[in-house]
Amino acid sequence: MTVSESPYWNPKTETLPKDQLRALQLTKLQSLVEYAWNRSPFHRRLYEKAGVTPDQIKTLDDIHRLPFMTREDWMACQAEQPLFGDMTTRPEEDAIRYHLTSGTSGRQPLRVLDGRKDWSWIADMWCYGFWGFGIRPSDKVFFAFSYGSFIGFWGAHYCCEKMGTLTLASGNMTTEQRVKQIVEMGVTVVCATPTYALRMGQAAEKMGIDLKKDGKVRRVVVSGEPAGSIPAVKQMIEEMWGGKCGDTAGMTEIGTIMIFECDHQPGGPHIIEDHFIEEVLDPDTAKPMNYGQRGERVVTSFGRGFIPLIRYKTKDLVCKAPHTLCRCGRTGDIYEGGILGRVDDMKLIRGTNVYPRAVEAVVREHSEVEEFQIIISRRDDVQDEITVKVELKPEEKDVWPRLQAKLGKDLADAHEGLRFNVELAAQGELPRFELKAKRLQDLRPQY
Amino acid sequence: MSDKKKEFYGKDLLGNDLTADEQELVELYTRLKSLSARQDLPPVATANVKQAMVMIWNACNDLALLNEEPGCD
Ligand SMILES: [Zn+2]
Repeated sequence: MTVSESPYWNPKTETLPKDQLRALQLTKLQSLVEYAWNRSPFHRRLYEKAGVTPDQIKTLDDIHRLPFMTREDWMACQAEQPLFGDMTTRPEEDAIRYHLTSGTSGRQPLRVLDGRKDWSWIADMWCYGFWGFGIRPSDKVFFAFSYGSFIGFWGAHYCCEKMGTLTLASGNMTTEQRVKQIVEMGVTVVCATPTYALRMGQAAEKMGIDLKKDGKVRRVVVSGEPAGSIPAVKQMIEEMWGGKCGDTAGMTEIGTIMIFECDHQPGGPHIIEDHFIEEVLDPDTAKPMNYGQRGERVVTSFGRGFIPLIRYKTKDLVCKAPHTLCRCGRTGDIYEGGILGRVDDMKLIRGTNVYPRAVEAVVREHSEVEEFQIIISRRDDVQDEITVKVELKPEEKDVWPRLQAKLGKDLADAHEGLRFNVELAAQGELPRFELKAKRLQDLRPQY
Repeated sequence: MSDKKKEFYGKDLLGNDLTADEQELVELYTRLKSLSARQDLPPVATANVKQAMVMIWNACNDLALLNEEPGCD
């Protein structure tokens, strides 16, 4: 078999029988906990307070003895001892990269540092994903990404250089310039957020470019938003671009991705289990959830050395399925449907739970919709109202009264009969996004 | 590769004997690591050897051949 014929980036550990995979995780966990104990005062304090020592980690189940690490702990640590807190294991001058979280919810962003090995490992995790999704050295990969302090696709860029693809950075280009270059250069792989992949597709249409006919894109790799695993969103992207759309998910706190969709796409991304332990727990009781039950992701990473990440509560909502759901041969389990949303982004409207991702899944079933916003408000200080404002594609104006009724019914059907107001927005009225889309406004008074 | 070397590099993290290819990777890593720790080479050598060492480390680490502290350059 030549190198390009291997379906796996790392055949040895990606296909390990489960018992051996668990043994490998235990060995790595023991080393990691000892390392954090010796090198990070933050972790030593956390473990001393919980009365746990590294030598107590004798089986994989002993991970439950370790206390959680939260974003709040991390922020407090960095605020008390600027800039990085006392959780870094090495002197600052050993770092080669500095990045920040995107600060989606308007909080103080987290600061992270990476050493040479960390950075190489970060790229390598993307390699697991890119190779697994069928990307090869002969591909031309375009990054619709702004290359700023947000880590985003930075690791993926280095992954492509490592794999040997032709790697195209688009930095400060406009959407139109990006579309033009993708076509002109015969780009075969495009990387973007799902929202921005759609936006580039819409721009191409307006420019009179048929990406399916004029372009050569065979893969669209999306990341950064839960929408990347919504089937209707994927289908829209695939119809626009003429290539297969695959989801990945990562976080700045890890520095890279921890899950990716393989070429078989069994309905969710595989976990890279030789580099991460992904627990799914009840967000309130911390009880482990079984396959098929929704819970919060809690991640332990074996990769980043500068800042150990052990049992980090992510607030991501997921549902784990066994690896046998997929026939690709990987033994890493699967998150069915990808990242399902955030544990804390659930909205309660007149007694019904509403998740923005679930609303998006319904709205995206209607391909006439170009952009949308969810607005929650309170009428007369009492009654909560939820409104979905939609902007139609210019050529689809005629569908309005019918679409309004249909969308209202579909949204109600998906939410125990809850009434949604569905309103039409003018062309260009709603905001467009390049990074993480913000499509929900909760205008209710906050107490 | 001689039996003596095989004995020296031992087993991977799963307890398997290293294959000849794996032994070669670990050997290369060990050599590059000691070379990159030297203070008397010109910057052009030190920096590039360090990069090479990191890349080989990545292969050895992913293949579960090493149990080193993460991020230790
Ligand atoms: Zn698979």
